[in-house]
Amino acid sequence: MSIHAVNIRKTFGQYVALENLELKVPAGKLVALLGPSGSGKTTLLRVLAGLEYADPGSGGRVYLHGQDVTDTPPGQRSVGFVFQHYALFRHLTIFENVAFGLKVRGRKTRPPREEIEKRVNELLELVQLPGIAQRRPHQLSGGQRQRVALARALATQPKVLLLDEPFGALDAKVRKELRRWLRRFHEQVQLTTVFVTHDQEEALELADEVVVMNNARIEQVGPPQEVYDNPATPFVFEFLGNVNRLELTTVPNAPVEATPAQGAVTYVRPHDIELLREPAADTIPVIIHHVFAAGAGARVQVVGNKTGEWFDVELSRYDLDKLKPKYAELVHARLRRPRIFTKAATPPPSAKLGGKTGQALR
Amino acid sequence: MAASTTTLAQRSRQSSPSRRAIAEPAWVRAWLIGAAIVFLVLFLILPLAVVFVQAFSQGIGVYFDSVKDPASWEAIRLTLLIAAIAVPLNTIFGVAAAWCVAKYQFPGRSLLVTLVDLPFAVSPVISGLVYVLIFGRQGWIGGWLMDHDYKVIFAVPGIVLATVFVTFPFVARELIPMMEAQGNDEEYAALTLGANGWQTFWRVTVPNIKWGLFYGIILCNARAMGEFGAVSVVSGHIRGQTNTLPLHIELLYQSPGTYAGAFACASLLTMLALVTMVLKSFIEWRHARAQKDAA
Repeated sequence: MSIHAVNIRKTFGQYVALENLELKVPAGKLVALLGPSGSGKTTLLRVLAGLEYADPGSGGRVYLHGQDVTDTPPGQRSVGFVFQHYALFRHLTIFENVAFGLKVRGRKTRPPREEIEKRVNELLELVQLPGIAQRRPHQLSGGQRQRVALARALATQPKVLLLDEPFGALDAKVRKELRRWLRRFHEQVQLTTVFVTHDQEEALELADEVVVMNNARIEQVGPPQEVYDNPATPFVFEFLGNVNRLELTTVPNAPVEATPAQGAVTYVRPHDIELLREPAADTIPVIIHHVFAAGAGARVQVVGNKTGEWFDVELSRYDLDKLKPKYAELVHARLRRPRIFTKAATPPPSAKLGGKTGQALR
Repeated sequence: MAASTTTLAQRSRQSSPSRRAIAEPAWVRAWLIGAAIVFLVLFLILPLAVVFVQAFSQGIGVYFDSVKDPASWEAIRLTLLIAAIAVPLNTIFGVAAAWCVAKYQFPGRSLLVTLVDLPFAVSPVISGLVYVLIFGRQGWIGGWLMDHDYKVIFAVPGIVLATVFVTFPFVARELIPMMEAQGNDEEYAALTLGANGWQTFWRVTVPNIKWGLFYGIILCNARAMGEFGAVSVVSGHIRGQTNTLPLHIELLYQSPGTYAGAFACASLLTMLALVTMVLKSFIEWRHARAQKDAA
């Protein structure tokens, strides 16, 4: 079941949480809403669920599988919601927690007791927690509670699953395990899923599509590879992965309007820089400052010979051994795939989906 | 060097080894505990003991006669009736107020919280007087009431009003911080699962606040049954009709010859106080256990 939200604007008094957004989620996909705190991602998720309503009069509408559900209460939208802090009903057993959605139905639509029991046990098997049905939430670990919350959300057979920072309250190891588990689960169940996270590693690893948000707007939408390799805006560049932001360095062969003198800023990923002993037409001279090699890869901190600008280079250990850089040596850096944003890099992007600011060259 | 350290070590072993440098000396502790006990005995236990001693001072027969006296019985009946009306009303008000304050943001929210505490700040006599000024013969709507022969002041409705006012904050004050601390996530979860407002309230909210609710109801009841000042102003002290138990006790105490009878009735209220304290401790214990489990 696809999701389409259009013209969504949400304010809390003076504070603008969502600034006229449009979001499309294809059926069956796992989509991440990624962004820093305050970017509006949780608010957008709650608008999709019906726990918040877009500002009246702004023309915002939410469609689930083509049906307009903007005025439908959350319980009737057929969405399952999983909260960051689980929100399990603390006074009920696990069984009653998972069965809740089925038990509150009206007499006409409520399944008979045996069927409820069967469904609950199936779901607990699905989330790999058989046999805990009679325990209470406080007796479970965080990871177990989150899986129970998922089972509870699935009990009513929703068409859409919404997860609000589902692993945020868990420690790092459990988070990684559940991440992998969720991916396998999604491949098994194929339910349209949207999850909110501020952890870029999680978004890039899990999602079919990543929606990068910042400051109440959507900056870019695309598959993880696309968003990482071809960021549309400086914000996306800086938010995902490591990046060098060069304000004083002129990229060789760059057009005139893309030089630092014109206010342009160059972004290049540390692993996209090559270090060579001999100069070439497209290299810039740099001085080695620090080599950090105690890890899977090596990080070399260099400073531009003419500009005095610092940046980092990431090399494989193999390349490091070939180069053997020493402190204060002069070497030559080739910037592969630099992205230059002209002066307009500072104001926020336009409201268009994946709108670009300024001009990105190369 | 070595010699001095051994001497120091020896010296420290000679003084009390288990005393930490930051604990008060034993005599300070003894004095503080002693002072607290003396205070409690003088101001709490002695008066309670005196009630029972005086109640039985003329024998058990007089005790039961005083309690079974028709006027006493009417007073007891009236007190129970007032509590039976005021406590449920204030429970409903309290839950509604706590629900609004904890779940919603609306203009006037802080004002509502302040108003809830108002009856605590106002002297009970004033609380009663306010109703006389509104419903009494020269009051704002007193004339209209007289024309239609509705009796509010110097009748049971007035007593109910005054008692409701005075005991208003107990349930709300208990529930508001509790519901705010618990947050709204469970209720939102219930909504996404298809529960409507009432189902969410009964199945999710009420079980979570039940200990706070009991606590507030117990305190509300104790105050409703024991209120004197406000009720004294509005009731008119009509013996056998508008005398609640506290008023009846005062009446017996002021009248000659019913001294022991006054204490006999007072012992009933004292027993109510003791039962209230026991229930309160029980609730606190259960709630603490529930908190520990949930953590």
